Amino acid sequence: MSRGSWIFILSLLGMIGSWFGTVLYPQIQLGRMVETRTVPDGQVYPVARPGLAAQGREVYRSQGCYTCHSQQVRQEGVSVGLAITKVGTNQTALVEAILRIAPQWRRDQVTAGLERLPFQVMDGVAAAEAERARRPLEAAGATTMVTVRPVGADLARGWGLRRSVAADFLWDHPVMLGSQRVGPDLAGVGSRLPDENWLLVHLWDPQIHTPGSMMPPYRYLFEVRPAAEVASQDALLLPEGKGPGPGKVVVPRPEARALVAYLRSLEAKAPLFETPVILPAGLSGTSALSVHAAVERP
Amino acid sequence: MSMQSSLDPQSVTDAKAGQVTVPMWLVVLLAVLGYWGMVYFDHHGGWFDARVYAPFASVSVVNELQPVSGAEAFVNRGRAVYETTCALCHGSDGQGKPGQAPPLAGSDFVLGPSGRLIRIPLHGLTGPIEVRGQVWNLAMPAMGAALSPEDLAAALTYIRQAWGNNAGPISAAEVEAVKAATAGRTLPWTAAELKSIQ
Repeated sequence: MSRGSWIFILSLLGMIGSWFGTVLYPQIQLGRMVETRTVPDGQVYPVARPGLAAQGREVYRSQGCYTCHSQQVRQEGVSVGLAITKVGTNQTALVEAILRIAPQWRRDQVTAGLERLPFQVMDGVAAAEAERARRPLEAAGATTMVTVRPVGADLARGWGLRRSVAADFLWDHPVMLGSQRVGPDLAGVGSRLPDENWLLVHLWDPQIHTPGSMMPPYRYLFEVRPAAEVASQDALLLPEGKGPGPGKVVVPRPEARALVAYLRSLEAKAPLFETPVILPAGLSGTSALSVHAAVERP
Repeated sequence: MSMQSSLDPQSVTDAKAGQVTVPMWLVVLLAVLGYWGMVYFDHHGGWFDARVYAPFASVSVVNELQPVSGAEAFVNRGRAVYETTCALCHGSDGQGKPGQAPPLAGSDFVLGPSGRLIRIPLHGLTGPIEVRGQVWNLAMPAMGAALSPEDLAAALTYIRQAWGNNAGPISAAEVEAVKAATAGRTLPWTAAELKSIQ
């Protein structure tokens, strides 16, 4: 057998091996994915994007937003803790119990914390420790909850509540994960910037809201029109001195509206089986982060 | 003739295989690399489960972090109470310990009427008692008197449903009712007294 046929066979095996690993196996794993249900509410997830947002996805694609923005939040782990959601009748005994199980708190901090429920007593502990600490607090009449909060550098930036998973992209074709982060990640932009006018103004001129932004202005998605007698409902609310001049208004074209509708539909935060999140109502995302900071530096 | 063959250029340049073996350090290095690869796979592979993502190692890790339903949480709490208060004598497996405490698994006093079971930890138990065909003559202190009604109810629910036991749960309200009914009692119960309670 000549050397040429060996080279052919070996490279064929290499090709087949990588095809199995990068094409066939992911297809077997995720290719037949269907809607899942949130945990523990049991809501169907994900819901298809509404019509305008679905059109906006095509604008996002055609403008190449994915070249500078990713849509994939990473997570480095979870932090298990214990939060008090309800104070019973005996607050004095509860304060004593908290000071015993979590000596890093000062008495006045605990009293202040109990007035603004939910109160994160401990964080970043083992699950067994949180479960153990629960008993003395419940014996003192409080209602407690073991919390599970995703942590990571991306989440600390406020880009989301949990990591992105395949289910978040079920209705997107193609999936625009992005590969570079020239701008911030947009996987959860709908939760952190729900204001339509803010997003439109940012597309018109990024320097207005974030001076020094690297993002180019997308002025061609807007029209500058002479102002009518009656103020237009569609016109952008621009700050003083940033507008196109007296007697003129900026009106977004349908593409800009669709794009903003798409951005507002991006909120990958539903708690799913694969990304466990257990937080009491009123303690989520950035507010949980500030509590975390308070626990670390009492 | 011999002069001519030694000068033949082909005999000088021909390479020959020697007696060189694979060095031992290379074999060890490859074995260590292979081992590291397996450990890495074990930690990060998630066994190819589509529900396991990066920070989690396996489905069981994800499972442990799921929110539990009310009933499950109650039993979990009962297990925690049991492990700290009861398991020292009755054992984590509920089989009891010779000379210390009778078994709870399969015991009629555990599986019987709830009023019978609730009284035992509230005031203790003394004297001979027959459990699973064996007579025990010991004294149990009032271990549950200091527990909150919720904790005691959770622990009793746990022992009624663990280790193959299959009896109904006990609520904190039932514990409080028994507490009120037996208020003022200081003596531990005897087996005969308990059997009269239905």
